[in-house]
Amino acid sequence: MTLTLLVQSIIAGLTNGFVYGLIGLGIAVVFRGSRIINAMQGDVALIGAVVAYIIGVSLGLPMFAGFLLGIVAGGLTGFLVDRFMIRPTAKRRGTEDSFLLVTLGGAFAVSATVLLYFGRDSYILPGVGGNTMVDVFDAAMRVHAIWLIAISTFVVFGLRWFYTKTTVGQAMLAASIDPEGATTLGINVSWMRALTFGLGGLVGGLAGVLVAPLINIQYEMGLLLTLKGFAAAILGGLTSPFGAIFGGVLLGLVEALAVVTISSGYKDVVSMTLLIAIMIVRPQGLFGSRGRLGG
Amino acid sequence: MRTIPAERIWLWSATALALVAWAVLPNFLGRGAIDILVFTGLYTIAGLGVSFLLGQCGIVSLAQSGFYGIGAYAAAYGTTTLGLPIPVCILAGILFSALIAAAVGTPVLRLSGHFLALATLALAIIAHVLFLEFEWLTGGTLGIGGIPRITLFGFSFSTPYRFYYLVWPCAFALILFYTLLLNSRTGIALRAMRDAPSAAAVAGIQVASLKVRIFVLSAAVGAFAGSLFAHYVSFISVDSFAIDRAIGFLLIAVLGGVRSIPGTIAGAFFVTAAPNYLSRLGDIHPILFAVALVVAVIFLPGGFGGLIASFWSRLATRGRASSKSRS
Amino acid sequence: MKTVLDVRAVSKSFGGLHVLKGVSFSVESGSVTGLIGPNGAGKSTLFNIISGFLAPTRGDIVFLGDVATGHDIGTRSRAGLQRTFQTPQVFRDLTVRENLVAGCHMRGRTGVLEAFFGLPAVRREMKQAQQLADLAIARFELEAWRDVPAGELPAGRQRLVELARAVVVEPKLLCLDEPSSGLSADEVRVLMATLRRLNREGMTILLVSHDMELMEVTDTIHALCFGEIIASGSLEVMRASPRVREAYLGT
Repeated sequence: MTLTLLVQSIIAGLTNGFVYGLIGLGIAVVFRGSRIINAMQGDVALIGAVVAYIIGVSLGLPMFAGFLLGIVAGGLTGFLVDRFMIRPTAKRRGTEDSFLLVTLGGAFAVSATVLLYFGRDSYILPGVGGNTMVDVFDAAMRVHAIWLIAISTFVVFGLRWFYTKTTVGQAMLAASIDPEGATTLGINVSWMRALTFGLGGLVGGLAGVLVAPLINIQYEMGLLLTLKGFAAAILGGLTSPFGAIFGGVLLGLVEALAVVTISSGYKDVVSMTLLIAIMIVRPQGLFGSRGRLGG
Repeated sequence: MRTIPAERIWLWSATALALVAWAVLPNFLGRGAIDILVFTGLYTIAGLGVSFLLGQCGIVSLAQSGFYGIGAYAAAYGTTTLGLPIPVCILAGILFSALIAAAVGTPVLRLSGHFLALATLALAIIAHVLFLEFEWLTGGTLGIGGIPRITLFGFSFSTPYRFYYLVWPCAFALILFYTLLLNSRTGIALRAMRDAPSAAAVAGIQVASLKVRIFVLSAAVGAFAGSLFAHYVSFISVDSFAIDRAIGFLLIAVLGGVRSIPGTIAGAFFVTAAPNYLSRLGDIHPILFAVALVVAVIFLPGGFGGLIASFWSRLATRGRASSKSRS
Repeated sequence: MKTVLDVRAVSKSFGGLHVLKGVSFSVESGSVTGLIGPNGAGKSTLFNIISGFLAPTRGDIVFLGDVATGHDIGTRSRAGLQRTFQTPQVFRDLTVRENLVAGCHMRGRTGVLEAFFGLPAVRREMKQAQQLADLAIARFELEAWRDVPAGELPAGRQRLVELARAVVVEPKLLCLDEPSSGLSADEVRVLMATLRRLNREGMTILLVSHDMELMEVTDTIHALCFGEIIASGSLEVMRASPRVREAYLGT
């Protein structure tokens, strides 16, 4: 294997890794604030990407507006998911399984809607800095990928600040860790959950618009993205924003390695096997100790 | 004199009536409608496994499409490429499926809740990718054609009308078997395990291994359905074993009502008939289908089976009341 | 007299916290042994180690002459060790009779496949299990609740169902974890009478409780405090022991 090929595959793995990490970030945000796995996270990203495409490409408006509205659309979706799916399920004392099934159903609804309006074709969004490449050890890297990495890092730090320094962020955490205690403190728990889903949606929308220039937007992409994002999040301990990104990068690199050593067809087999293995062997993530899942 | 309870009379007469209706039904239907009923039968069989796992063990399995696929490819590859007799291929598919389920289930079933559900979804994806990649065996997207029809004593189940009378007795037999299992000591142990796992362990119920056994059984039943499917359609491709099939099987369980074994038929009928009739509305049908899943999970926790059960108990109490007034 | 259970120098630490520090005692066949101690003395931990829910850090559990330390819960129950829980763990959706049928699950030999195809052996075993269950139901005077889901019974009855379920397989050692908690004074009296009767019929019982009144049914008592046995003997000895009084009353 030449050095260039290795670097090239590492770059590909790193870029994909940040994509998975961003999806995982949204899953981690939602899980941290509600103890619910949102199986729609990948499809929220799909919505963000589709909205950005409609605004920026189909309507020919400035791409920046497309990106912005894509993110907003993601946040709005998260909010609506809570209002029309999570809240009625919670009211009927749904189990862990029913929350997952409900969001899974939502994921299919999104995917089917995109299929209806966009068909089976795949679309690609122009990225930040167009298709310009930078040279890294003779291997090419897209400027957009660098933006993706920078923005993801920024979001991770932003979220850390939000959860530790702002009253709303702390109230959101309190509402999920100890709902009854939070209620006595005057925190509106169901409103906090709505905010959590909204925030998760914003992150999902952001993931969508950032990912769309790198991978094709296609109606089926959501579910696999969700699973890989989930793998990323769980590698990082399921509640940690930093951990999700780290887990994503690790997953991306493992996949890239699999592509080089086995064949690109088995990429998803490798990542799905990794997902199952992590859940069994280290459900607390790579950094966590056992029993810290709740913290 | 011992009197037969009114519910029992109701149950027997209703069953007899349903059987007669079942036997004559295809004579009043067109080929398309019978085809839907055949698929209902196939999906009932595969869905039974998923439903029992969910209802009695609390295991959400999205992996059934994989086992369905294994059964189908065993039938297809065995009969066309290897030229083996049909029963041998069906049996091989069931055994292979069971082996895979045992090997995979032992570690995976240690998970619970949403971890387990996502793990089985990951399994379904792995199975789909492998079906696609093992082209020498599965034909990939091109598929395998020319799978022979099932023949029994010189009678070929070659049309939907004929296949109807093969698939449904199989489905009824499996419903009976699962009911026997549910009412056996093993069934009681399963429900005990769901209620209080530690106390079940003290009672000597081997929780982990029992779960794996039920999972293996479910996989075997799924493979059987897959084999029948392959022989019915005679051409299969990887598209038949994708994630939407896995979701479909789970939807059968959820819609049918996990506590009701015969409810699976209602769930299977919905899953096969609804897309067919909805497709007349245009391409909107997958959306409606997904919305149905959401609505069912939220508003129908007992599924159709729960609805039927509550209707049935109302009917039975009315029957009891009227028989009392007569005596 | 034969030794049923031998606890040999059992220690247990959680991280740096030493909950049990070399506890040793034994339970003789046909006896009722009590284990008392204030909250946090390590009673529950010891109990969980005996029944196989926890593994000791050091030391061994010897059951009927066999070292059982590495055995799992199921192996111990098949060997004849039954336990109940501090909060009664009945199978809530199952009827009282089904609870007891589940209780003798280990007596059955048929598996999933036999049950699936409804082989005659399965039906035979079910009949046998139901007979055992009905005997226990009569013994514990639960006839009126036979077909009622156990979760619908009041707490005192649930304890009785749990006890009946543990006894239905006639264990060699019956371990009861705080059996009187949540019971009314009347119900405690019924419980004590039941335990005395079981013991008269030959049942060996190990009783963990901080309820001194209940200890009247015991022959021998071990007092546990901060992970160590500080006194052993009859109830009178316990009541007279200054160390026990100190541990209990803090004087």
